[in-house]
Amino acid sequence: MIELKDVNKVYGNLKALDSVNLHIRKGEVLGLVGPNGAGKSTMLKIILGIAKPTSGTVLINGKVPSEKDWREFKASVGYMPERVAFYDNLTGMETLKLFARIKGTKIDRMINMVKRILSEDILKRKVGGYSKGMRQRLNLAQALLNDPDILILDEPTSGLDPVGSREFYHILKDIEERKEITVILSSHILAELEDKTDRIAIIKNGSIKAAGSLKELYRRLKLPLKLQITIKDKDEVLEGMLRGLGVSDIGYRNGYLIASVPSENKLRVLSAMLQEKERFQDITIKEPNLEEVFFGVH
Amino acid sequence: MYTDAMIAIAHKELADKLKSRWVIVIALGFAVFTVVIAYFGGATAGVTGFRRMDATIASLTSLVTYFIPILALTLGGGIIADERDRGTLDLFLSSPLSVGEFIAGKFWGLFFALTLSTLAGFGISGILLITKLGTGTLGSYILFIINSMVLGVIFLSISFLISVLFYERSRVIAVTVFVWLFFTILYDLGVIGLLVTTKGEISTGIVSMLLMLNPVDIYRTLNFLSIGEFSVVLGLASVEFPSYMRPVLLWGVSFLWIVLPLVLSYYLFKRRYAS
Repeated sequence: MIELKDVNKVYGNLKALDSVNLHIRKGEVLGLVGPNGAGKSTMLKIILGIAKPTSGTVLINGKVPSEKDWREFKASVGYMPERVAFYDNLTGMETLKLFARIKGTKIDRMINMVKRILSEDILKRKVGGYSKGMRQRLNLAQALLNDPDILILDEPTSGLDPVGSREFYHILKDIEERKEITVILSSHILAELEDKTDRIAIIKNGSIKAAGSLKELYRRLKLPLKLQITIKDKDEVLEGMLRGLGVSDIGYRNGYLIASVPSENKLRVLSAMLQEKERFQDITIKEPNLEEVFFGVH
Repeated sequence: MYTDAMIAIAHKELADKLKSRWVIVIALGFAVFTVVIAYFGGATAGVTGFRRMDATIASLTSLVTYFIPILALTLGGGIIADERDRGTLDLFLSSPLSVGEFIAGKFWGLFFALTLSTLAGFGISGILLITKLGTGTLGSYILFIINSMVLGVIFLSISFLISVLFYERSRVIAVTVFVWLFFTILYDLGVIGLLVTTKGEISTGIVSMLLMLNPVDIYRTLNFLSIGEFSVVLGLASVEFPSYMRPVLLWGVSFLWIVLPLVLSYYLFKRRYAS
């Protein structure tokens, strides 16, 4: 659907994107993960056609888009930039009406969604009096005005409190349930992307270091699983047995024995532990989380 | 040609200037300014009271040449920088809006704000002057208003080019001040310097061309052509202007001064930002 082929972007002496290759499939939720300044926003702007790559190609539906193609593409996209102050002298509703006209649509089409994001009372108030969270909600509302097929969200929960952030993901889930929508979501808050994305692309220093589902990524990176055993006391016999099975990084915390297990040894470890079940109360093996994947990528 | 998106942008620009009372303040400024000049214009000669309309237009022209350019330059200079700083530029660019619609929407909105304030300000004071001085010179005064609006629109167009070229607010301010100084003061100093160094040997054709390269001089020439005293007030009494220096030509050149910066802005903006 959207493909970046060997895309480079240079600003003066700074290489913002370095040979980026990425394929975004129709209907998927892609998480773009990277530290601040990694090139996430630049990549999103190139996907949107509002920044031109220094070299490389952007393909939309398999072809290099013409001016008309870009226009059609943009008509199907909802974009939520990281930071928008909007116009202090307009009310929330006036702002949305303005952007609806610019997008060639009418606010009535999405009024229920808009009212879910911002109450009528808030919509009647001047944006100048909005909190950062309210502005961010307004930002989301404007992105949804054209009932987009593709939603590009740049750090969407930045500035939202945990309640606002949770509500944001509820709304996103509702949209995904209502229609097939492609979502490209950039964030540096790793935990919030973990269970909300189909695929993750990790970007560092302007290049994609890894892309795939979380499972694919930790397998590819050969990251160990996390073993957590509920145990009463330190058990050196059990430790010795685990070490014999290739388990490493053994430690104790809050009544748990915590260790790392190579994924290929998972069944052997579980089977051995079942033989020693009188030595512990419970056992859990967890897959690595996004944070571990992120830091495992170099 | 006129899309709803373009009208929405134009409407917002004009509504902003109306709501913030910019239009009213500028119109009142022009009106008060005109009446004061008409009444006290002869004060240096020890005379007060409403003077001849021609004399008032001459005095007004000298002051408007400084005032309208800076007003128009500051009005349009921030069109890109302001949207960029606010983060809304990316919203415009990511919407199915062409660069032409964006530039045209901004331009028409500010065009109406500027011409409305100029027309209202000079119009209201004009009514007062006509009641005092009669309708004999009404034509000259109407031409003065039209020429003033054209001058404003030229500098509005130049301000768009500045905004596109230097999209950071601090740079826009610095360039705006320089452009204003250049067209209102430095350029004429250069022309006078050229005349002095060539001891007036330079042909009137070249002087005319040089004047047409500066919209402020076009404005002065147009006004003084309409009141018939241009050569004296321009300080170019010894220069006889070629026969082709007629209002139609000067308006034609003014039109180019409006269109060319806008077209350049369009292409530069498109090259820099748009897909």
